[in-house]
Amino acid sequence: MTKWIKMAAIAVLAIVAAVLPLFLPDLTFYVQTILAAVVVTGLSLFMGYAGQASLGQGAFVAAGALTVAVTTVQLHWPPLLALICAPLVASAFAYLVGLPLLRLRGHYLAFGTLALLLIVQTLISTVPFLGGGIGIAGIPPLGIGDLTIGDQLGYVYVALAALAVTLLVSHNLVRSRFGRGVRALAGSETAAESAGVDVVRTKLSIFAVAAGFAGLAGGISAFFIPYVSSDSFPAIASFTYVIMAVMGGLGTLWGGVIGAVVVSVLAQTLTSVSSTPGLPPTAGPILQYAAYAIVLIIVLLFLPKGILPALMSLWSKVTAKGRTRNPGEALGATPENDVSARAE
Amino acid sequence: MNDFITYVVSGLAIGCAFALVGSGFVVVHRVTRVVNFTQGTLAVFGAMISYSLLSKGLPHGVAEALAVLGAGLIGLVFGAIALSRRGTTPFISLMITLGLSIFSSAVIILVWGQDPLSPPGVTGSISIAGAAIETQRLLVAVVAVVVFASLWLFFDYSYLGKGLTAAASNPRAATLVGINVRRMGLIAFAIAGLLGGIAGVMIAPTNAVSFSSDLSLALSGFAAAVFGGLTNLWRTLLGGLVLGVVGQLVAGYWNGSYQTAIALVMMLVLMIARHRSLAVEEAK
Repeated sequence: MTKWIKMAAIAVLAIVAAVLPLFLPDLTFYVQTILAAVVVTGLSLFMGYAGQASLGQGAFVAAGALTVAVTTVQLHWPPLLALICAPLVASAFAYLVGLPLLRLRGHYLAFGTLALLLIVQTLISTVPFLGGGIGIAGIPPLGIGDLTIGDQLGYVYVALAALAVTLLVSHNLVRSRFGRGVRALAGSETAAESAGVDVVRTKLSIFAVAAGFAGLAGGISAFFIPYVSSDSFPAIASFTYVIMAVMGGLGTLWGGVIGAVVVSVLAQTLTSVSSTPGLPPTAGPILQYAAYAIVLIIVLLFLPKGILPALMSLWSKVTAKGRTRNPGEALGATPENDVSARAE
Repeated sequence: MNDFITYVVSGLAIGCAFALVGSGFVVVHRVTRVVNFTQGTLAVFGAMISYSLLSKGLPHGVAEALAVLGAGLIGLVFGAIALSRRGTTPFISLMITLGLSIFSSAVIILVWGQDPLSPPGVTGSISIAGAAIETQRLLVAVVAVVVFASLWLFFDYSYLGKGLTAAASNPRAATLVGINVRRMGLIAFAIAGLLGGIAGVMIAPTNAVSFSSDLSLALSGFAAAVFGGLTNLWRTLLGGLVLGVVGQLVAGYWNGSYQTAIALVMMLVLMIARHRSLAVEEAK
């Protein structure tokens, strides 16, 4: 019964997401929100299950975007091949840097990933092949042969397809045999290790998968914008991914989407408020920074598990009094893998 | 050879500035196990407040002292928010201070605008071993040494300093002997504010700061503090000096753009090489 309700809800959501852009005048915001959701779904997976934060997820978005920019503009590869390579390159990059980096924990890893992002930025701005000081412009539109995407609407559906793939992969990942190891990791690393879970490899795999999602989003955005430079991946964007992940609820399947949508809509609303005549041009960044910060601090202090788990526990209290456990709950929200409690 | 001496001397001066920011990380981490992401922000606040006071006509010395006190007060407020709820893990507190530093960006843009500002400092330069060095940078080095010596005396010999250390090493035992652990945390944040303020006031006359300088300041300070395992003050000073000198040599002989990247790579290598001892210290 609950399963049917869930399936119906997902179907309705998918239809709304597909029909809504037909009525919106400018789709830049819409595409960017969906791509943010793709990145945050991966980050939420990593933060929730590995219990660690990455403050530099933008490094992997950059890896994907650069893959597309370099292979299409510098090497003249076909766009579709470039897009397929984007998540693969980002994953491989994450795997390689993760081998040493994931030995770090807690705030060391947080600063380590942030340092990685800044090093990537420096590399992009100093290596001419990666764009150097001017960046890479003139990325061709996505398409196969002569069939190319000519308008924003096309990219909306590409982004939605990417999000669908991301959610499906995440769902299956956590439900698989490997996923049981992942969930054990979230409970207790020591216990998981003693039960035969290879902690380092499991963490590394989630890190690489999350980076793959980030690379996919970066690749699509490179086609969409179509320009990539070292300024395309500011640290504040990576902080925003963390804010979205924390807000939605770490280690939940839909938390990333909810966090991305709520925070993006908030930011967009503030941008339009700040462009009202009479306000200084700095009103935009002031309002956005303040709003991001207040959202993050309030959620951390008062809803440390995020919006989605908080709503779900409220829902289960209302509907299922007496029952100890909800069937068919989204991954990660059941008590035994309540991950935010140990996110340290 | 003359170039070399110039790079080393200016590297030592810059390293002292890194170490000042790093000392703030060490003080808060020693007492609360929290890594205070606002450490760079506090330096920016110190620099900005001193800029405003000096342009209002306050004399040198008074303006800087008030700016440092102001940064201390802001540090106290940050601490009060970051430690406001019992049972908040150090990691969640780190994320809260990240939020506070983003919020501070909004405040700084609102009050001081988006452009980098540089308050006037000491002018002129002094010749050391044939290398000309700005007097302001020399002053940074002198202040850094005085600050580190004071911190060392404070933590090792004063009653309050010992209380702060006790609160960190065993909060339960500290509570039992009548130390208010929460208050110690707040004091640590206030001291970190003062240290950040000193760093900002000293750095800004030679390197203009803006709302976005907090990140590079925080990262270089954290990198220095990593040398001391986030707990040892003298090794933090040493770390700052190493990072400063290497950065200047890289900028002088290779490429100025790689200065920060090299410091970050050194930090990563050090953290990864020492991850076992860092993890043990974390688990305590």
